[in-house]
Amino acid sequence: MKHTTALAGLLLASTTLSPAMAQENTDVTVVLAEEVDLVEPCMATRSNIGRIVLQNISETLTELDVRGDKGLMPRLAESWEMTGEGTWRFHLREGVTFSDGTAFDAEDVKHSFERAGSDQITCEISRYYEGIEITPTVVDAQTIDFATEPAQPILPLLMSLLTIVPSETPIEFTRDPIGTGPFILSEWNPGQDIKLTRRDDYWGEAPEVSGATYLFRSDAAVRAAMVQTGEADIAPSISATDATDPALDFAYPNSETTYLRIDQNVAPLGDKRVREALNLALDREAFIGTILAEGTQIATAITPPTTLGWNPDVKAWPYDPEKARDLLAEAAADGVPVDTTISLIGRTGNFPGATEVFEAIQAMLSDVGFNVELQMVEVAEHEQYYSKPYVEDRPILVGAQHDNSRGDPVFSMYFKYHSDGRQAGFSDPKVDELIEAATAATGDERSALWSELFAYLHDEVVADVLLFHMVGHARVSERVDFTPTIATNSSLQLSEIGFK
Amino acid sequence: MSSMLGKRAVSSFISLMVLIVLVFFLSRLTGDPAALYLPVDASEAMRDNFREIHGLNDPVLVQFTHYITDLVCFDFGDSLRKARPALEVVLDSFTWTLQLALITMALVSAAAIALGSLAAFHVGSWLDRLASGLSLIGASAPDFWIAIVGIVLFSVTLGWLPTSGTGTVWHWVLPIAVLFIRPFGLILQVVRGSMITALGSAYVKTARAKGVRNRPVIFVHTLRNAMLPVITVIGDQAAALLNGAVVVETIFGFPGVGKLMIDSILQRDFNVILAAIMVTALAIFLMNLLIDIAYALLDPRIRT
Amino acid sequence: MATPTTDDTKAPGALRRYARMLWADKLACAAALFLLMMLLFAVFGPTLLDGAASKQNLRARNAAPFTLERGFLYLLGGDALGRPLLARIIVAAQNTLVIAAGAVAASMAVGATLGLIAGYAGRTTGEVIMRLADVIMSFPSLLLAVIVLYMLEPSIGNLVLVLAITRIPIYLRTTRAEVLEVRERMFVQAAQVMGASTLRIIFRHILPVILPTLLTIATLDFAFVMLAESALSFLGIGIQPPEITWGLMVSQGRQYLTSAWWLAFWPGLAIILTTMSLNLLSSWMRIALNPTQRWRLELGGKRND
Repeated sequence: MKHTTALAGLLLASTTLSPAMAQENTDVTVVLAEEVDLVEPCMATRSNIGRIVLQNISETLTELDVRGDKGLMPRLAESWEMTGEGTWRFHLREGVTFSDGTAFDAEDVKHSFERAGSDQITCEISRYYEGIEITPTVVDAQTIDFATEPAQPILPLLMSLLTIVPSETPIEFTRDPIGTGPFILSEWNPGQDIKLTRRDDYWGEAPEVSGATYLFRSDAAVRAAMVQTGEADIAPSISATDATDPALDFAYPNSETTYLRIDQNVAPLGDKRVREALNLALDREAFIGTILAEGTQIATAITPPTTLGWNPDVKAWPYDPEKARDLLAEAAADGVPVDTTISLIGRTGNFPGATEVFEAIQAMLSDVGFNVELQMVEVAEHEQYYSKPYVEDRPILVGAQHDNSRGDPVFSMYFKYHSDGRQAGFSDPKVDELIEAATAATGDERSALWSELFAYLHDEVVADVLLFHMVGHARVSERVDFTPTIATNSSLQLSEIGFK
Repeated sequence: MSSMLGKRAVSSFISLMVLIVLVFFLSRLTGDPAALYLPVDASEAMRDNFREIHGLNDPVLVQFTHYITDLVCFDFGDSLRKARPALEVVLDSFTWTLQLALITMALVSAAAIALGSLAAFHVGSWLDRLASGLSLIGASAPDFWIAIVGIVLFSVTLGWLPTSGTGTVWHWVLPIAVLFIRPFGLILQVVRGSMITALGSAYVKTARAKGVRNRPVIFVHTLRNAMLPVITVIGDQAAALLNGAVVVETIFGFPGVGKLMIDSILQRDFNVILAAIMVTALAIFLMNLLIDIAYALLDPRIRT
Repeated sequence: MATPTTDDTKAPGALRRYARMLWADKLACAAALFLLMMLLFAVFGPTLLDGAASKQNLRARNAAPFTLERGFLYLLGGDALGRPLLARIIVAAQNTLVIAAGAVAASMAVGATLGLIAGYAGRTTGEVIMRLADVIMSFPSLLLAVIVLYMLEPSIGNLVLVLAITRIPIYLRTTRAEVLEVRERMFVQAAQVMGASTLRIIFRHILPVILPTLLTIATLDFAFVMLAESALSFLGIGIQPPEITWGLMVSQGRQYLTSAWWLAFWPGLAIILTTMSLNLLSSWMRIALNPTQRWRLELGGKRND
């Protein structure tokens, strides 16, 4: 008896299994570089967490279109408008439920906002609301008002970062995230994998992908090999040197910008001619297609060209070692100590080929007569040089990489260039004024002010040595249909993945 | 034997305490975890709040008192980054490391003792030279190099083994093979060396002079005398494996304690560092105890 | 009986005798020549080739090995910045050998001394020393490196310090284990009965017996230290560009392993060959310095079991 049931079971299993196998496997496996410590919705601005959580498990009120040019699109909010001086009203989507079955309403939005800003946990999202007084008021179940002081023109954009959790969520890091997204966290084996499974009661269109497994491998060559052998379907970031198969590999701008931050308070870097010489000494073209991947762009701003107000009229510094030498000689004649040893601080493994890039920069700067000493350091030490209070016992150039895929320069400009910014290397009243004006402005005026600031920083202040807008490489197996975008660094929507 | 055990436990406990104090204070001299945990554009208020929540604003001595009081109740504190108990995090990884270390060391010891003794019995023979040569190349080749070439060859080109990860028995083959190489070379050399010494020693000569022509008898005699340094080296190698095999864990995505340790050190996740040290130290203590027992069994003169 | 004496090395013609013995073992002879070459590289390399080794040339980036098109220095190919690998390996010999030899010698000296004391002195002293070894062994070497190099400058001296400290327990424990065994042997006990001083017993009777094992470990440790140093560089602590060591070259070549294997292969080969040569030479020395074994070499290396 037992035998027959077992046999029947086996038969049943094989009959139900094999057609499913033969049909199509709609699970995908994604291999990421960095393991996640948390799967906490309010930490979704951290890129490795965002790639799993954002819009898959937890959704936001608004969403920035990175594939087309539709700008800010509705997600959990159907529409929004400014109802008064500094007050934004969001009309929420109806019929949305969380994965625990509760309905989504304005109270959840209010709680999510307050939870993210609470001082009992350290949610990263809250840094974008620093310095603005924001008061959420529930109008009715489907409507919520946000009063901002001073008026915050880009609040709807900021809402594309706020992940919505149910109002019952305790104010502590959760290991069991509940969201309105099309997927739920079904399994988490720390150190090994994370599995998401599709929900049946999702409010929107059901994604083609039925489940996703995330694996973590820190070695880029292994990630590339895994897609090749079929152990994974998508490797969002592989090294350019491994991206050799045109059928599988895609290059995409990854919204990272590399630059050398200059601390102008220490001579000789306070002298504008010296900073110009730094810029003229670098043969930026020579890096592209050699140490850095083909498709890398020379930067004229700290944010990528897809950002609001990016200024096409700003021209990159030419490679002119002669002029650089002349400028240095001129400065030296005026008593500027140009032969002081300048420390160039780089971070090991900051981006692929980082060490080579900094070695080449050092060689080029030495070539025009700078006395540069290269120092590659680990992340904690790098942070000491990168943020205030600065080490000021010698002139220092800090090589760093900045990521802004959010569409607006406001996420970069204050802390990189405002006198009070944590990573500003100088203090200029006009820059401060422009940043403050642009932050408060809307529409074309905002765009024009940012453009003016970009030009002023690049041409007049010579604030830093801007290097490159970087490209990333993804490897995608032939069975899935997926094109990486500028946002792939910070989110990876499973609903954008199809099968061939 | 039991008094020796007690003494060992007490002295090991003392050295563990010394270790904890050293690590606790020294690691706190290497920078602010808030700067690493929070994004670069986080405000000073956020940083201060982070330090406040995790008690990093207190004077170091106060932090230490808190830590020790909690430790007495077996509370190892929470991981800064993972928001879960540090001990749990460490034990998760340590299970993997322990399995990996045990299997590897068992294979290595058996292979190295067998081949090393053979080489010692035939000094200068082709077998001796081949064993020495191969073990030396293995011991001095960069392990990440072997690992990646292994993946390219056996997984990508031949398709015999999975590239990385855990799951089936096949997943263990490449990591163990890579881990095998270095200790194998080292232990083989030590076995060979001390077997040669022992073969020339009085006991064996006496045995031979007495007319013992039986090779197995000589082998057992010699091995017994040659085992002390060999066991020491095996112990050291096993300890190194228990501390985690960083390269193998990193490349093959093995969730072991070595990778955890590196990440925690680079990110200044103090509680995890301390918990990991305590767990591995306990494992190493137990292992050394076994080694001492082995010494005593092998050489009755050392027994006390 | 098995105590080698050093007297006969002082005899006239000893040098010639050793040269003849070295010649008898062809492999050891080749090893000696290779090490001599590395030594010459280390002493003269940086002065002669520093310019060539640091001159970047992006057109020769990852240039393939085995062609003389770009000149002899590119025989082994070019690195990611188009610098000739051959020149870089020669220049890097200095830092590499100084670090490895410094760390190995320091850890062996300190470790063996402590091990001798632990094995020979009273119980309490021995116990304290062994627990010290436990502390060092359980102290994560990476954490030690982070602490030392974070608080002091990342210099060659400090790196040697870090590497030496982490390797002490190996020598300490091995020495102690051997001492415990050797001091029970007949000749040592005989010497004790005859009233020889402790120092004399240690230096004349015990040290010579345990030295071969220590040397075996030291030669293998040489490779370990070179690779450990490369791991530290890879993590951003330790020697950093523009300084070069073989270990650093290996770790920098890592990301090109699948596209330009030579970047990591040649420096890796330099590490392997140096270690092998050291080992061959040390096993030759073990025979040449041992009066009861020496005949093997003097008879022209004829095999005899």
